[in-house]
Amino acid sequence: MAWILKLVPRLVLGAAGISVATAVLAADITIGAAFPLSGPNASYGDIFGSGANLARDHINEDNLLGDKLRIQYEDTQALPQQGVISMNKLVNVARVPYVLSAFTGVSKAISTAAARTKTVAVNGGGVGPDLASLGAYFWNVIPLATDEVKAILPYLIKEKNLKKFVLIYVDDPLGEGIRKELETSLPKAGGELAESLSVPATMQQFAGIAARVRAANPDVIYIASYGSQQSQMIKQFRDNGIKQQIASYSAFSIPETNALPQAKGAVYTTQNIDWKSADPVTKRFVDDYQSKYNKLPSAYIANYYNAVRLFGLLASELKKKGEAITGENLLRQRNETKSFDLVGGKVTFAENGTVISPMQVNEIDGAGGKVVSVTGK
Amino acid sequence: MLAYILNLATLICINAVLALTLNFIMGYAGIFSMAHAIFFGLGAYTAAYVAMHLSVSIFLTIPIAMCVCALVSLVLALPALRVRGEYFVAASLGLQVIGVTVFSEWKFFTGGIGGVIGIPAASVFGFDVIDPAQFLLPAFISLIVVATIITILSRSSFGRNLQAIRDSESAAYAMGKNVAVIKTLSVVISSALSAIAGALYAFYNGFINVESFTLDTSVLLMAMVIIGGTGTLVGPLVGAVILMVLPSVFSYMWFLPQTEIGAIQQIAYGTAMVLLMIFRPGGLIGSSGKQAKS
Amino acid sequence: MLVVQLFINGIQSGALYALIAVGFSLIFGCTRIFHFAHGATFTIAAYIFYYLYSMAQFHWVLAVLASTIGAIIFGVVLDRWIYAPIQRHEGSFFTVFVASLGIGIIVQNLIGMIFGRGFVSVATPLSESVELMPGLFVAPLSGLAIICMLVFFFALQVFLNRTHIGIAMRALSENPALVRIYGLNPRHLSTMVFAIGSVLVVPAAILTGAGSGLNPAIAHHVMLISLAATIVGGVGSMKGAALAGMLLGITENFALIYLGPQWSEAVTFVVLFLFILLRPSGFFGRAIAN
Repeated sequence: MAWILKLVPRLVLGAAGISVATAVLAADITIGAAFPLSGPNASYGDIFGSGANLARDHINEDNLLGDKLRIQYEDTQALPQQGVISMNKLVNVARVPYVLSAFTGVSKAISTAAARTKTVAVNGGGVGPDLASLGAYFWNVIPLATDEVKAILPYLIKEKNLKKFVLIYVDDPLGEGIRKELETSLPKAGGELAESLSVPATMQQFAGIAARVRAANPDVIYIASYGSQQSQMIKQFRDNGIKQQIASYSAFSIPETNALPQAKGAVYTTQNIDWKSADPVTKRFVDDYQSKYNKLPSAYIANYYNAVRLFGLLASELKKKGEAITGENLLRQRNETKSFDLVGGKVTFAENGTVISPMQVNEIDGAGGKVVSVTGK
Repeated sequence: MLAYILNLATLICINAVLALTLNFIMGYAGIFSMAHAIFFGLGAYTAAYVAMHLSVSIFLTIPIAMCVCALVSLVLALPALRVRGEYFVAASLGLQVIGVTVFSEWKFFTGGIGGVIGIPAASVFGFDVIDPAQFLLPAFISLIVVATIITILSRSSFGRNLQAIRDSESAAYAMGKNVAVIKTLSVVISSALSAIAGALYAFYNGFINVESFTLDTSVLLMAMVIIGGTGTLVGPLVGAVILMVLPSVFSYMWFLPQTEIGAIQQIAYGTAMVLLMIFRPGGLIGSSGKQAKS
Repeated sequence: MLVVQLFINGIQSGALYALIAVGFSLIFGCTRIFHFAHGATFTIAAYIFYYLYSMAQFHWVLAVLASTIGAIIFGVVLDRWIYAPIQRHEGSFFTVFVASLGIGIIVQNLIGMIFGRGFVSVATPLSESVELMPGLFVAPLSGLAIICMLVFFFALQVFLNRTHIGIAMRALSENPALVRIYGLNPRHLSTMVFAIGSVLVVPAAILTGAGSGLNPAIAHHVMLISLAATIVGGVGSMKGAALAGMLLGITENFALIYLGPQWSEAVTFVVLFLFILLRPSGFFGRAIAN
């Protein structure tokens, strides 16, 4: 029994020793990424990561920062508590000044740590409206749900004459945010929110919900969920006799959902990015992405490319001025810079750390999707 | 790196408090609760609520959290009085599931799935404990306090009564012991003390969420007690240290896939539980001899 | 019509719950072992079927066979190599329970590592609903679930009442010592019980895989349902477990609509909790000495 008491301190010291050694070896510039790398939302982590990695490669090719840029990935599984643990690791152990974040719930959870430690957290995937008010150190490079909803309502109500909505939303900050947005915007746009049904994030059986939706007899079913749950919803709704129009927000842009045969005809909003633009930043991004992955990128990929590129631009300015790359300095540098050349064109940040972007409505057609409407250009 | 070790030490202290309090009802009273994470959570949410709306003084938040947990634990005490063994485990499982649902739905108090954000720093004698490094001291002191209370209780006549009830309830009853009161008291004390761990956790992280209080956590706490050794004083401490250090040890083994560390940790303690039950049911610290049949 | 639809949905879930619960009840009733790893048997059977049918594209008959064999092997191995040694040493219920819990954890995480922690489901046209009446949608899977439950339950009743081994198993739950005196081997009987209990899980596992989908953590849910149905139905009564399983399925579906989806799982446990407090012997069980 006494051997236990001797073993434990040795394990701890051993762990400490190894980590000190690895820390000393790294002389690169490291930024962090808190993504779902496993679990039901791992596909988002892959997508976000592909954009971030491409930007990192471009920055290193151009030698923009002098030293090599490295991204340290931590797995959040898209869960808020795991997100906080990942953030603590990135901030306390890897000591990064800049973290890529994703998912509304996770982003909200890590925003406290970001503010407390003056680390910049950048969101390129979550769209909950609350993300605009998480403090000066929380930035968004993706338009939030307010813009998504504002883009799709005129298309559905005016162009396709579908007025009666039923909302199925996941019971977390994202779902809540979209519900509040629809509640305020629908009546103003000439539509009606007949019912909103919340589902737990872990729910996978939707026959009962389908029965309730059928009973409400809507024109449009708006789904505010993500990952495999949204695919299950679409599949089971169609299996259970729901034939009406399905609509959603940018979470539908993942390949898993676009490949689902039952999703054909569903519409969803994303940022409007002209992939054929001649603008050099966009062209390089699209060409390199296409040659690497054999398909066109999507808005999510562009956003995380932009998030890393943004860091590159800010950090290189700081280096020119001879200043340390800290969260505080990055924030000040962003405020001083008028606009940034990112994928999609010139981007300006509003005071609250959000960006404005034109939106488009996409339709899933089983063949790569098509754009059916563009607003805000 | 130092920050990482201090972080680990603080979490060990918090989990050790939970393991000690769980051992109090499991090892000494024979009440096998799988709902311990719920009292951890209740303490955390209460402390957070009080800190955000009333006062950040640690001397107000912790006692209030303890009272709330003590009251709610009466719900767990009820089945403990009626049934034992498998039935009680089933009831506590039920309570755990219901508790998680309440935590996820009672948005006003718990923030739902989004959790409680921006919990202010605890204030000890007017001094705000903001720096995570400073937090180790209150955490360690709390551990000492809880360990002392439990040691005193288990060595007292109350503790002996508990063990008598665990070993043979009918005999204890025949001896004139008020079994119902003693059992209820033990559940109440255990839950109230685990509220301390909950409050510390809330202040330390600044953010709490239902994910930290699920069945997985209850099982982890149970694993700490079992692997360390039920019914001993040092056992839960050893169990807590080993199980908390395990993920860090695994993450330094570069040949293991990093995203699977959590799964590997669970497989490790699952295997430990099975092997120990076959060869050494008393746990690492406990006696290797036969335990009393329940 | 919504009510009828919910009722039908409830019967479908209930049929699967009943199958799982009867397996657990059989094992617990005969051997008094708190077989928490029953959920792990379910997960193993389900994922074997998913792997062979959906991923490796084998014929479904082969996949079903493999699933069944896998479940039986798992149940028997547990009984022989984990539970038996523990019971030889000292076997308090808690020791066995903890070992079972440990196995459950190991299986859940191994499956998570191999198949990923996300949701998977077996794609089959059987899950598409047919509109029987306006507003009433039933999928062939539901019919299959109910038929399976009836067939298996009927077969089990015949086995337990008409065959020697079946009667011996029932004797085991009453009095193991007496069984030994009659020259039967409780150990062998116990292994048979585990084999049969594990087989009962297989149809439920396959149908769930095709219906609502699988993920490694499903073992928890399965276990909790088995437990609730066994206790509410009464320990030692398989009729009770089946009935309680059906009732829980129906309650869950009605709670879905009238209380909201978040509460539907909790409702099952409120019912369980109340039964334990007020009537631990359940519907048909023997009285529990206090």
